[in-house]
Amino acid sequence: MGQLGTYALLLGLALSGYGAVAAALGAKTDRPVLVESARRTAFGLFATILVVNGAMMIALLRNDFALRYVVENSSRETPAFFRALSLWAADDGSLLLWNLILAGYIAAVALRFRRDRPATFPYALSVLFVVQVFYLILVNGPATPFATMSSRPADGAGPAPLLQNHPLMAVHPPFLYLGFIGFTVPFAFGIASLLAGHGTDEWVSIIRRWTLVVWCFLTIGLLLGALWSYSVLGWGGYWAWDPVENVALLPWLLSTAFLHSVMLQERRGMARLWNIALVIGAFSLMTFGTFLTRGSVLSSVHAFAQTAVGPAYLAFLAVVMLVGFGLLMWRLPTLRTPARLDSAISREAAFVGNNVLLLAAAAIILLGTAFPLVVEAVSGQQITVGGPYFRSAVTPVFLLLLLLAGTAPLLPWRATNRARALRRLRVPAVAAALVMVATALAGVRNVTAVAGFGLAALVFVANGQEVVSGLAIGRRGGRSGIVRTMLRGRRRYAGLVVHVGLAMVAAGITASSTLGQQTEVTLKAGQSTVFAGHVLRYEGLRTDQQPQRIVLSAPVKVNNVGGGGAGTLDPRMNLYPAATEPIGSPSIHRGVVWDLYASVISLQEDGNSATFRFYRNPGVNWLWLGGFVMALGGVAAAWPVRRRHDDDEAPTSVRRTRAPVEVGAV
Amino acid sequence: MRRITRRRGILLGVVAAVVSAVVVLLSTGLGKDPSVVASPLVGRVAPDFTLSQLNGPPMTLSKLRGQVVVVNFWASWCTECHTEQAALDQTWQQFQDSGVVVVGVNFEDTTGDASDYVRTAGVAYPVVEDTDSRTALAYGLRGIPETFIVDKTGRIVDRIIGPVDATKLSSEINEVLLAGAR
Amino acid sequence: MNAAAAKARLRTKLPVLMVLLAVLVGAITLAVVAVRGHQAQPSQAQQVQQIAAGLHCPICKDLSVADSPAPLAQQMRAEIAQKLRAGESADEIRASFVAAYGDSVLMSPPRRGLSGAAYFLPAIVILVGVLGAAMLIRRWVRSPETGPADDVEAAPLSATQRRAVHRALARLREEEPA
Repeated sequence: MGQLGTYALLLGLALSGYGAVAAALGAKTDRPVLVESARRTAFGLFATILVVNGAMMIALLRNDFALRYVVENSSRETPAFFRALSLWAADDGSLLLWNLILAGYIAAVALRFRRDRPATFPYALSVLFVVQVFYLILVNGPATPFATMSSRPADGAGPAPLLQNHPLMAVHPPFLYLGFIGFTVPFAFGIASLLAGHGTDEWVSIIRRWTLVVWCFLTIGLLLGALWSYSVLGWGGYWAWDPVENVALLPWLLSTAFLHSVMLQERRGMARLWNIALVIGAFSLMTFGTFLTRGSVLSSVHAFAQTAVGPAYLAFLAVVMLVGFGLLMWRLPTLRTPARLDSAISREAAFVGNNVLLLAAAAIILLGTAFPLVVEAVSGQQITVGGPYFRSAVTPVFLLLLLLAGTAPLLPWRATNRARALRRLRVPAVAAALVMVATALAGVRNVTAVAGFGLAALVFVANGQEVVSGLAIGRRGGRSGIVRTMLRGRRRYAGLVVHVGLAMVAAGITASSTLGQQTEVTLKAGQSTVFAGHVLRYEGLRTDQQPQRIVLSAPVKVNNVGGGGAGTLDPRMNLYPAATEPIGSPSIHRGVVWDLYASVISLQEDGNSATFRFYRNPGVNWLWLGGFVMALGGVAAAWPVRRRHDDDEAPTSVRRTRAPVEVGAV
Repeated sequence: MRRITRRRGILLGVVAAVVSAVVVLLSTGLGKDPSVVASPLVGRVAPDFTLSQLNGPPMTLSKLRGQVVVVNFWASWCTECHTEQAALDQTWQQFQDSGVVVVGVNFEDTTGDASDYVRTAGVAYPVVEDTDSRTALAYGLRGIPETFIVDKTGRIVDRIIGPVDATKLSSEINEVLLAGAR
Repeated sequence: MNAAAAKARLRTKLPVLMVLLAVLVGAITLAVVAVRGHQAQPSQAQQVQQIAAGLHCPICKDLSVADSPAPLAQQMRAEIAQKLRAGESADEIRASFVAAYGDSVLMSPPRRGLSGAAYFLPAIVILVGVLGAAMLIRRWVRSPETGPADDVEAAPLSATQRRAVHRALARLREEEPA
């Protein structure tokens, strides 16, 4: 298996090298045959990398302890499910998955453009292959996933305890990788359009569509990450403002900004330079994040252990930024677009505001994350920039963004009809005011909470109202009328749905970060405590010896204060042979309004006494649901729908920017 | 045309400058272990402690003035501590008569586990129990094993993160002894 | 003044009034909460939680002492409670941890020296962004009628394009509520 993997990796490197050269040369010398061969190489490359991953997967499942990676990340006792997950449990293996996903994206691009190709296609293909070459060099040299042991040990160490503690590990990293690596495609088309130097905007709709797909993956990936943190780490929270979490959020913020500002280009021919800068920026930030996570520069729960690939990532980051922004500056004269607004209160102006706020949030988070590095490099002082700092610096920006998301979708393009915009705003505004008053009357004494709930209501009602009114119009045409309306205004309605999801997320974050309750209490077996309307009784320790671990569970009987049982919470501590300290495993009663969350943090007197932390977290499930709605809206916007015949002549995005007509509603 | 060329040059220069600044900055972070944090205690008077010994009377750090003290934080559940235990024992045997004391401070452990380990591994130097971790907090402990070298005047001379190395430790102790003699 | 005209005026004015009223009510609510928001005297447990939230758990990667379930963090919370009982102020307690662990034990960078820059940089970022956007929008609004459309659009519309425009406009009227 090791040999198969090693040779397949070399073959993959050769293939992607060939693809990069053939695609670029074919375009330069105008030889379509060469480009076509490069396009087909993509499928061969994908198959090859699939073989590589398959080899590693088989080695892990069969516990082939001749391979160092298997020894370090699997063991005889590890269940097969978690053995398979070990593929991304450590740096070397996860790089294989990374390569597979990149090759998958290249194959997808090759498949998508098998017939009608934009002029930029060969260059984009070449850029994609070049990026793949970099990641394949990494696994062919600095990182050696298929390195063998000098002598074959009898058993392995098993995966890191945190990674074998929860099945969410099966989906969180792959989705995040799909989200990260996907930025290569928009980047490649952006670079290609700069290389080709055409004055046309044909790349815009291509990049928009791919960015949407990537945005959906990243949204889900971030969401799953938060869910993992909440369900596994046992601290009652889901976002710690950890450096690695922050750098994952940065490309999300930039791509969100792009998805808004791209409409300026599609509809008004504005902001071409800005949009392409955003695409390059998102990819650069993704590369920066990879460097921070894998270059062992920062310490974080998500960071990989010390690795030797740091300098390689840094060099790649330098190349990406030099080529990307260098080309941008080179082509600056051809990218300048004349811009004109009819009114400062219009959809266009709102998009400018949206971009400023999203970029300000990204800049603040980037500054905060890199700040300890800067300070230490300059003055040697070691500092921490943690949650409280980010929360206070970023909250105002996010509140302003909510204000915009609750008003801008009601603003018309171009000219302002203030009366009409205000008429559409009256219900959302009144709803927001009512929610704020109600929150204050309910005894909430936190300005951020009151503002957050009010603005979330504004966003929810404003965007929901637009969807409902669209449905009402469609209903005049019967059931098919609704479908037709939704399909016609698909992008508009999908966007509104994303905003509705955003409102739910905002409400969830506001509730959980400002209205949560918690207590820490030590209970003897049989003893109870009262917390948040519940009587919690410790039932005494139970021990369960499993093949790969020892599970100590500390069940807590939950009764409502007024009487009536409400089940049992079963927080645990898992002891893994590879870990010196037990890994906690919280137990959660999830509810519509709030969760009851218990984790056991220490045991005394052989478990006759246990220290628990209990949390009452409101709104957490709105966050998950809202995030899901956001991703759903993104999928709806990105879903390829074959245009019906009568729409064929409708101006496409490219033509639309040239013809000054208002078409559709977004 | 020439104006465009010049502007291009300036812009490209700006890009290159910014990128190289970023690279230089980030490369300072390379090759450093991010989990190693300097201790502000080095050079200061060691926080005093009075802790009960596993087998013996309570021990007070300030009563050891005039001797070099090696304060080692450890636990029976810590595998890295097991690897350095031989080196500590060797240091203890070697310097016991030259005015050097090795003290093991037991961290987040139970008396039973600690005694068991001390007996089976044959730990000869005194071991004290830091039951409420107050001493660990006073020493700014970030993990174990961590070892502090305290000179004859009671100042912390060095802090070693991770398992100690016998030769390095003995040469360092020799230096401290010499410096004190001068 | 006839009744129909007054009614029509009210129809146009009413939404404006409603929105203004909503904004006013929201602003007053926020102001009231801001003024009356602070609780008189936090309990000792709350004080411990507050101080612990500002300290970085030294053996964790990213959690505060308040959030971390690690035993050492638990000990730190106990230590904070003990020091509070002994009459130490929050600043003194923080200082004692900084003395042992260095500045990195604080969740937020100290306000002195270079690290103090962390406190005005976000404000500068927001200010520059908002001012830049405001200037840009002003310039774009004032720029002459020759928009991008007029620059690019030279040829008259073809027959099919014209048909498409008509269809699209019709659809627009159908979709947007009057």
